[in-house]
Amino acid sequence: MRGRPLLFTSYEADQALMPTTTKKVALTVFLIALVLVPVYDVIPLAPDFLSKDDWLKVLTNVMIFAIGALGLNILTGLAGQVSLGHAFFMGLGAYTAAALGAPEGPLVGLGLPIWIWLPAAAVVPALVGVLVGPTAVRVRGLYLAIVTLGLVFIGEYVFRNAESWTGGSQSGRTFPRFQFRLWKEEEPLIDFSRKGTWFGIELSNEAKTYILLLGLVIVATLIAKNLQRTRVGRAFQAIRDRDIAAEVMGVDEVRYKLLAFGISSAFAGVSGALLASFVGRTIPERWDLLLSVQFIAIILIGGAGTVTGTLMGSLFVIALPRVVQDFTGWLSDKIAAGEGIVAKVGDFFIATSGDDFGIVNTLPGTGPGLSVFQLNLVLYGLLIIVFLIFEPLGLYGIWLRVRNYWKGWPFTY
Amino acid sequence: MRIKHRWVALLMVLGLIAAACGGGGAEAPEETAATTAPPATTAPPAGGGDGGEEPMDDGMMEIKTDVGVDLEAGVIKIGLLSDLTGPFGPLVSLIVAGQEVFWQNVNDTGGINGLKVELEVRDTQYVVDNHVQFYEELKDEVVAFGHSTGSPHTVAIVPQLEEDGILAIPLTWYSGWTDADLGENLLHHGAPYCIEAQNMIEYLMKQAQANGVENPKLAIASLPGDYGLDSAAGAKIAAETLGLEVVYDGSGTIIPTDESTLTANADAIVASGADIVWITATPGSFAPIYGQAIAEGFQALWGGAGPTFNPAFVAPDSAIKDAIARDWYQSSYYANWFDDNPGSTEARELFAKYRPDAPAQDFYIEGFIEGMMMKAALEKAYENGDMTQAGVLAAAKSLEQVDFNGMAPPERFTGTPNEQLQRYIYISRPDPEGLAAGTSTGLQMIEELYIADIVKDYVFEEACYKLGG
Amino acid sequence: MTPDILILAQEAGEQSKLAATIWDGLSLGAIYALLAMGFVIIFKATQVLNFAHGALAALGAFFVASFATIIDVPGRWMPDAPAWLTWSLAVLLALIAAAVVGMVLERLFLRPMVGEELFAVAIVTLGIDIVVRNITNDWIGTDIRPLGDPWGTNFFDLGLLRIAHTEIAQFVVSIVLVVGIALFFRSRTGIAMRATAFDQEAARAQGINVGKIFAISWAIGAVLAAVGGIFASTFPRRIGVDQATAFFAFKAFPAIILGGLDSIVGAVIGGFVIGLAEAAAGTYLEQFEFLGSGFGGVVPYIVMLIVLLVRPYGLFGTEEIRRV
Repeated sequence: MRGRPLLFTSYEADQALMPTTTKKVALTVFLIALVLVPVYDVIPLAPDFLSKDDWLKVLTNVMIFAIGALGLNILTGLAGQVSLGHAFFMGLGAYTAAALGAPEGPLVGLGLPIWIWLPAAAVVPALVGVLVGPTAVRVRGLYLAIVTLGLVFIGEYVFRNAESWTGGSQSGRTFPRFQFRLWKEEEPLIDFSRKGTWFGIELSNEAKTYILLLGLVIVATLIAKNLQRTRVGRAFQAIRDRDIAAEVMGVDEVRYKLLAFGISSAFAGVSGALLASFVGRTIPERWDLLLSVQFIAIILIGGAGTVTGTLMGSLFVIALPRVVQDFTGWLSDKIAAGEGIVAKVGDFFIATSGDDFGIVNTLPGTGPGLSVFQLNLVLYGLLIIVFLIFEPLGLYGIWLRVRNYWKGWPFTY
Repeated sequence: MRIKHRWVALLMVLGLIAAACGGGGAEAPEETAATTAPPATTAPPAGGGDGGEEPMDDGMMEIKTDVGVDLEAGVIKIGLLSDLTGPFGPLVSLIVAGQEVFWQNVNDTGGINGLKVELEVRDTQYVVDNHVQFYEELKDEVVAFGHSTGSPHTVAIVPQLEEDGILAIPLTWYSGWTDADLGENLLHHGAPYCIEAQNMIEYLMKQAQANGVENPKLAIASLPGDYGLDSAAGAKIAAETLGLEVVYDGSGTIIPTDESTLTANADAIVASGADIVWITATPGSFAPIYGQAIAEGFQALWGGAGPTFNPAFVAPDSAIKDAIARDWYQSSYYANWFDDNPGSTEARELFAKYRPDAPAQDFYIEGFIEGMMMKAALEKAYENGDMTQAGVLAAAKSLEQVDFNGMAPPERFTGTPNEQLQRYIYISRPDPEGLAAGTSTGLQMIEELYIADIVKDYVFEEACYKLGG
Repeated sequence: MTPDILILAQEAGEQSKLAATIWDGLSLGAIYALLAMGFVIIFKATQVLNFAHGALAALGAFFVASFATIIDVPGRWMPDAPAWLTWSLAVLLALIAAAVVGMVLERLFLRPMVGEELFAVAIVTLGIDIVVRNITNDWIGTDIRPLGDPWGTNFFDLGLLRIAHTEIAQFVVSIVLVVGIALFFRSRTGIAMRATAFDQEAARAQGINVGKIFAISWAIGAVLAAVGGIFASTFPRRIGVDQATAFFAFKAFPAIILGGLDSIVGAVIGGFVIGLAEAAAGTYLEQFEFLGSGFGGVVPYIVMLIVLLVRPYGLFGTEEIRRV
């Protein structure tokens, strides 16, 4: 009904992904804005720096992690099963992709095209995830978290020793590039790893990869969001909230827990394959506990259980190091220039030479205080802490608050 | 009260984003805090002048530039892909410090024909993803890479380096860099792990024979990866050539994070009854192996590759101080910090001038060596009138001889790989008294520019160990 | 190569493999037991899964290195005192410092999170781990920092077995601490802590100062972590504290789970079980080529998995009562 956007007259309308016109418009504009990022330098009023290759790479990285995080969100946020083993499934996906898609050579590789290895990178980890599932039925809560932690260590051991698949510890292997072929032709139909021209616009390979990932992350988001609306999604939520009651109601706990692990591992596998191919080469130690922790941080900071929150969390956590780095760089320049209050305050805290006092020094090698890089890490940790203390609902909670404020304005009391 | 806290959080987030945008949008591309060369030259207006030719100020010569060299501002930018907070952080931080002091001195004494060098340092944390990421970020800002930490990491950017035509100095001593295919855009330096091992095995064999052991038995243990396996491969080559029996081959079995592998190695070495032990590991993983072996009464000649040693072993409070002083032989790619060659002496003076509080460390020298190579390349490029990225690369690859003032054997980058192969090492022994007195870094050099007979005859065809495909 | 499972006969001067493995396992187990105990005390009292335990262990070891060797307190004021006395005092000071750090962290970062979801709190400790670990690593610097213990590499040669002096010391200290903790829980404060662990609200209703209990539990946890860190940084494990020490504590997680997250007895027993399993795997499984290298590090997790399949709350953990 016009003028009454929140009045729904059918079930489909209520459950729609974009129920109101505002949402439809906002989402469309947002999507167009995202698609146009690589050409921001020719669009007036748009932030130019985003269209530079290195920022495109950061954003592509954000999207790869977002796909993985969506999977973990389904498992932990939707189905309530705590898992620290995400890195293991990512590694599995990556090595499946390599085994199928990498060109033949000293290590296992069949040279198959992307439309085989990418789906396989979803299927194989999913099957392994289903095998892990039964432990979730037996073991709960924090115990399950540590069991999945064990998965990561066992995985590291397996990856380290399976040298013909992974290249061996500290050595690593190359991964298949983003190229679309029909079978094993010489020249790919679409090559995302070389710069080229699409629709008359000259694009670098970073831009093309960005577009590819944008497409993939949109697909993943649709799947995740839709999952919430289906029977399976509702079963997951029932298990998360009260699993005994759910079982009494007829929700088969075993089946749905297995499904949850399977689906989440599929997302993780795809994300791992994409990450490895994006970087091009990686060592088996990459799939370690710290990687799993990054995903947990993403979904918690973003807002566990929500798809939008997960996406916001990915942007925040993955782009954060870059932002902190630029911030400290900007601060350091201000201090070197020596003007203004910022410079004076900063100068007190920062040591610029061996004799200067400071909590932080700008000398990466030696010297008093923390180096800038250690400061970056410390700030990262502090931000995680402070964020969770002050906003346990995560970024999504902040967004909700802001949105509700403006929705009700000026009647926000 | 809680509501106020929430707004604080929101403002903080917004503030950070604003600062990033402020820093990012206004001056693209951004610089990090670790740019060097105080007295601070003002930051160049747009990071390193992009595109096109720019005529020289004094109109004497036309110098071509594209990225990383700004003739008007008089700045050359060099990128450093370092591991500062990861597993090799402690080591690489020292090397970066060495580079910083070196360039500081260069800038203060006239620069590269008047151009000052600024370093753009990035912390990769030894993660390949970050390494590639920072390469992408810096490739449009710097004219060349002063060092690139990690063999798999460097191999990961080699295709990009070749495509973009940029020079990089790998911060590893992997034998693959001398291979013409892999090392096209790289400046190898220092004896590769494989050669180092061969030199040391022959030296240790001679020591053992001098001690009365006619046919010394060899035990090998190493980390996995290029560092450990390249070195172990060299040890095995030496054993074969010299006819030594290898009684224990633990190559690739030392996992620093897994104590059981350390105990297993210690037990196996002891059980093998070897007379010479060649170890390629990190200090933290070596110490338990050695400690447990000597606790079981084991005694032999122990030799280790460059990064295996740490001065803490011979510190006054160290439990293994005396044993190590008795057993250990350390190889190195360059001279010691306290050596009296002109290069080391000058380095000590520079550090006393610019970083008087910095503790004495041998690894600063590696920073100097990298700096000297880059300086030679930049000066040659300037002479050629071409300081584009490709120009610097071409200049570097045309260097017949780069001298290091006595700190290291000269390097050459022309000729066949076999001719370019660096074959000389330095051998040291532990020096606890010197460390306590402050006159040494814990190591006393006993052999300078040592080359074994088998290494003289060695023909280099390809890397001793192939990094995983 | 035939598996030599039971070699009791030994050659002259060589130790028995079985005895050495058992002793190694017990010695390693003692470290795990201490780390697990500290962890479980924190968990029981405050319901916090403390991912920062490793960082606290490294910090504690570093404090000892500082007091004993770097700044030499109180040694510098007692030049004639025997080494073991000055060292013990230095360790005491270091443990006090560790306890203070534990209390400060609890008050600053974890008190505001009371009542929040368990996993969110665990992530906060992860953030704390990043902060503490990096600051500690910055202080530790590039070298390995020896702890200055007076025992060095001396050992007793018993023919069957070689026992390092440090291992004896570690064992004695572990037993003392375990007994001490057991006695502590009989004291007034200990009983108050047990009450808080059982039911926070009821304890408050009884007049127990729950905040003080939290602080004490974190102080004890930090001290135990520090002691574990000290053991992990001395001969024969390592020769000092370096930037890798912080990751050692993750090996204790299987011990904690095995014993049951909220059982201190379980933590101790779990620690020894895991230590023995790891030592046995290291000795007897290295010969199986197909297992590759590093299997010993994975064995604790496999053992943990097997136990959990049989008893999902660990050997001594309390089963969660779930209400519909």
